[in-house]
Order: sequence, then structure tokens, then C-alpha cells
Amino acid sequence: MNLKEIADQLSLEVCAAEENLDVEVTGGYASDLLSYVMARAKEGNVWVTMQSHVNVVAVASLVNLAGVIITEGTRPEPATLEKAYQERLPILATQLTTYTVAGKLYELGIGSEDLSG
Amino acid sequence: MRELSLHILDALENSREAGATFAELTIAEDLVADRLTITIRDNGCGMDEETLARVTDPFYTTRKTRHVGLGIPLFQAAAERCNGELAITSKLGEGATLRASFQHSHIDRAPMGDMTGTLLSFILGGICDLSYLHRVNGREFAFSTAEIKDELGDVPLSHPAVRKWLRSFIAEGEATLIPLSV
Repeated sequence: MNLKEIADQLSLEVCAAEENLDVEVTGGYASDLLSYVMARAKEGNVWVTMQSHVNVVAVASLVNLAGVIITEGTRPEPATLEKAYQERLPILATQLTTYTVAGKLYELGIGSEDLSG
Repeated sequence: MRELSLHILDALENSREAGATFAELTIAEDLVADRLTITIRDNGCGMDEETLARVTDPFYTTRKTRHVGLGIPLFQAAAERCNGELAITSKLGEGATLRASFQHSHIDRAPMGDMTGTLLSFILGGICDLSYLHRVNGREFAFSTAEIKDELGDVPLSHPAVRKWLRSFIAEGEATLIPLSV
């Protein structure tokens, strides 16, 4: 499933890099601690977070994530959107909580390799 | 990051990479004023104004292997999330000073974490001398690796017995601050 289909199914607002929504999503990761995302999210994952700082774009491009879903009605900061366009990183926004978004992604068949061991 | 000690280690490693032979780390916890302040001063190569202006930009890095550098930006975001701030002052050739402050009681403030492991990792990691001061209200724990080296004479800090002693010396020193620490 690609980000465009996810955005349609979850009624997400596309905030940046709409030209790059056709990338295939390999799985998901949810956390607000950026250091954990750096260490544990996998290339091609969609990242669910309520962080909206420009550091989000830096982490996502470091790990080569497919895109970021910003939850709880948090608005991505202008600097975040500017960098997201430069990095061609799709940013999607929603009023839903991180918990709900993760649940809906699972319903769509987007699982995650369980790292908790 | 999950613990402030990880930010501190990252910042100390920046000092080492800047060629510092001396770094001074001060952690000041003032529970009355509700502030936690971390200061790192080094005698490394320092930065010009242009570089200084960009160190908090996550898309700036001196590394060539990738185009993202998140150490300082994450430290800054952690401080700002807790009613604090991070500032770096520096001049080319004159070292650098990083100062990060936090509201001590802020619910999102990460705990200090494993300072003993952090300090040991830095001290044993290379030639940079460290002067450390951790103050919690009126109590203090301080040491200087230069003074310890003087005492040791020819015995290196990495000697297993010294390493073991260092670990318990730091752990016990930190423990004297715990009753007031959070």
C-alpha cells in the first residue's frame, strides 16, 4: 500500500511533498522520541508522531522513511514544511491520536516487525 | 532522547571532535528556582559566526558521510520543550561554551540518566581532560581528571584497577546528591 491510499483511507491532510505519495510503505513506527525513531524505524516505514519540529524531517530523511503522519491536530511548523518539500518527504496531518492512527494502519494491513523482543 | 546524560555525552564528544584537550561540565540543579542547567565549556577549535549560526540546524553537519546532524538540534528541542533554551557561544580558535537549561520539574523533562556510565565513557574514550561539577541545591560533587592523573603518576586511567576505582568514586559521589535530585 502506498501513502496516497493511506491518506485517502484515513482522510489525512497532505501538507507537503504530495508529488511523492506513490512510495510503497514497508511498515509503521510510532514514537515521539526522535532518538528511538533514528535507531529503530526502518527504511520505507510510515512514522506516526505528534512532534512537528523540523527535526522530524531530518530524522525521517536520515532513516529514509516513506512519510510522516502528524497526529492530534498538531500543525507542522513552516520550517518543517519547507524542509519536507526540499527533502521530498510527504507530511500528512490528522486530528486522530497516534493510537488510533496506528490501529487504522493495522486494519489496512500495514503491520510492523515487533522489536520489543 | 530518553535521558539527559545521552545529550551530555553527545555534546562532550563534539568537544573532543573539535580537538579539545580540556572540557568543563557543570550540572546545576536548583530546586528552589526550579531550574536545571547544563554547561559544557571546551578549549577546542571553536567556530566562526557562520558555523555557529548553523549548529542548531539539523540539516547542517561537519560530517561528509550524511547530510543530517541531530545532536545539538535534539538537545535544543529537549530544552525548549521544558521551558528552557540552548545557547552556544564560540569564537574560532577560542573554544566553545554550550549552555542548556530546563524547568527542573517539567513533566516532559527527561531524567538525568546514567551519569556514571556517561562520564566514564568520555573519560576513558581519549585524551580530553574533564573537569566535572554537579551541584544539587547546596550539595556538590566535583572532580578533575587532570588532578586524578597527577595523583596516578605513570598509571593510566584505563588501568583496570583505576577504571574500577573511578566507577565507584563517581557512582558514590553522584549518590550523595540523590536525596535531593529528581
